[in-house]
Amino acid sequence: MTSTTVIDVDRLNLSYGGFHAVKDLSFHVQKGELYALLGTNGAGKTSTLETAEGHRAADSGTVRVFGRSPRDRRAVRSRMGIMLQESGFSPDLTVKESVQLIGTLSRRTDRVERVLDIVDLKSKSDTKVSQLSGGEKRRLDFATAVYGQPELIFLDEPTTGLDIQSRDALWQAVDKLREDGSTIVLTTHYLEEAQQHADRIGLMHKGTLHQEGTVSELTRTLPATIRFSLAAPAPEPLPLLLRSDDRGKFLIETFDLPHDLYTLLGWAHTHGAELRELEAGPTRLDDVFRAISAD
Amino acid sequence: MLSIALSELIQIFRNRLVLLTSFVIPIVPCAFFIYRHEIFAELGSLGYIAAVVMFTVGAFGLYTTTVTTLASRRQNLFLKRLRSTPASDAGILVGLMLPVTVLAIVQMVAILAVLAAVTGAPDSVPLLAVAVLSTLVMMLALGLATAGLTNSPEHAQVTTLPVSLGAIGVSTWVGITGTEELTQLKRLLPGGSATELVLNAWNGGVPAADSLSLLLPTLAWVVFAVALASRMFRWEPRR
Repeated sequence: MTSTTVIDVDRLNLSYGGFHAVKDLSFHVQKGELYALLGTNGAGKTSTLETAEGHRAADSGTVRVFGRSPRDRRAVRSRMGIMLQESGFSPDLTVKESVQLIGTLSRRTDRVERVLDIVDLKSKSDTKVSQLSGGEKRRLDFATAVYGQPELIFLDEPTTGLDIQSRDALWQAVDKLREDGSTIVLTTHYLEEAQQHADRIGLMHKGTLHQEGTVSELTRTLPATIRFSLAAPAPEPLPLLLRSDDRGKFLIETFDLPHDLYTLLGWAHTHGAELRELEAGPTRLDDVFRAISAD
Repeated sequence: MLSIALSELIQIFRNRLVLLTSFVIPIVPCAFFIYRHEIFAELGSLGYIAAVVMFTVGAFGLYTTTVTTLASRRQNLFLKRLRSTPASDAGILVGLMLPVTVLAIVQMVAILAVLAAVTGAPDSVPLLAVAVLSTLVMMLALGLATAGLTNSPEHAQVTTLPVSLGAIGVSTWVGITGTEELTQLKRLLPGGSATELVLNAWNGGVPAADSLSLLLPTLAWVVFAVALASRMFRWEPRR
């Protein structure tokens, strides 16, 4: 572990009710990083996150946050903000009172108006939590997590239920926090968000870390694809390995997308073949997910 | 801790139903006991009235509200939210229970003051204060333990019945029949020795030193309830 390691998980094991949820899991999160912990349903990511947050004790293995046990709330909690998966606010308190309470308990200093402004809830300051929509509750949760700009922020499915404007606003706020040096740990079901914002991704499957790396490291393990259909039967066989489905659509899988795309276009030009519905792109995180789920 | 207590106080006053069931309803039987004090004094003694009003507030006000509040704060994940901050577990619990405890103390003092004004002052106010405080602590500890067995605020309507009805039943039994027979049993039941302590404090006639030993069974119930709570209490709903 280096001095810039914020979270250090070493051979973590968790089980409940006879189910071994997390098996020998190890990973590190460095200062300033945005680390996305992704996984299939029941992969163990929420349990792992709860252990790093200090809500759950490890059955074996060690978890260190800022070099200390996350169960030592007094020592670590004032340095971290937690956005839980489910909100957990009192329905009878107002938005302002909720932020004020959690903010005061965090022992960080900030202004309630400032954090409510970030999530565009200033006009709802005096509204009771029970009268907020699901998306507004998520935004309130985010506001309490970032109160006082903590060094480490856990975002557990932060954008679930948010409309596109709120989602963009939230990511803008996250980018700003990162500029100021905060470390972020994220879980999400929106893979494009992880693809767009994460520095590194830990991909969990059945309680273990199936793959870990940057987005390009993960997607590099699978081929890119080119899809097209032909207006008329091919005049000349294509000099590439391709598959066709029963609706006449062709698929080329390649680890050298520029080269194979160039070959395809050259072939079409030479033989006057009309390529319809042409699509070419790198492997997406979705494909990596589908590949591990199919294992 | 104080910020939690303040938010809890706001929530109590904003939720009229809680305010009504926890703080207004217990006053009704107490008012009745004081209004017809001559009948009840003849049936038991004035000390019996003091004991039974103390347990009415303690059981239906403090104990039931504690269990319902903790179950409700757990169910909507407010407890988990509070535990996501640097606040300690003890600080969270004290903060959550402080407002209802203060309200219960205010109620008990007010009701006993009215009783004293109507029927005459108790023999020993300090002893009465000790009895009231030890009963409050016992009801709080039993509330914590019961909250561990309670899944939801609705469930609390059932889980609180044995202790609340039991405590009032014991105080009525001891208050009316005294402790000359079945002494040990009556003193060991929850609320039994506390009732006897109130009887002695209000009616007089027993040396204070003898009365103080009556604190031991109440404190034993506190220890038992806290031990049970530390095993049973959960901060998050069962999944």
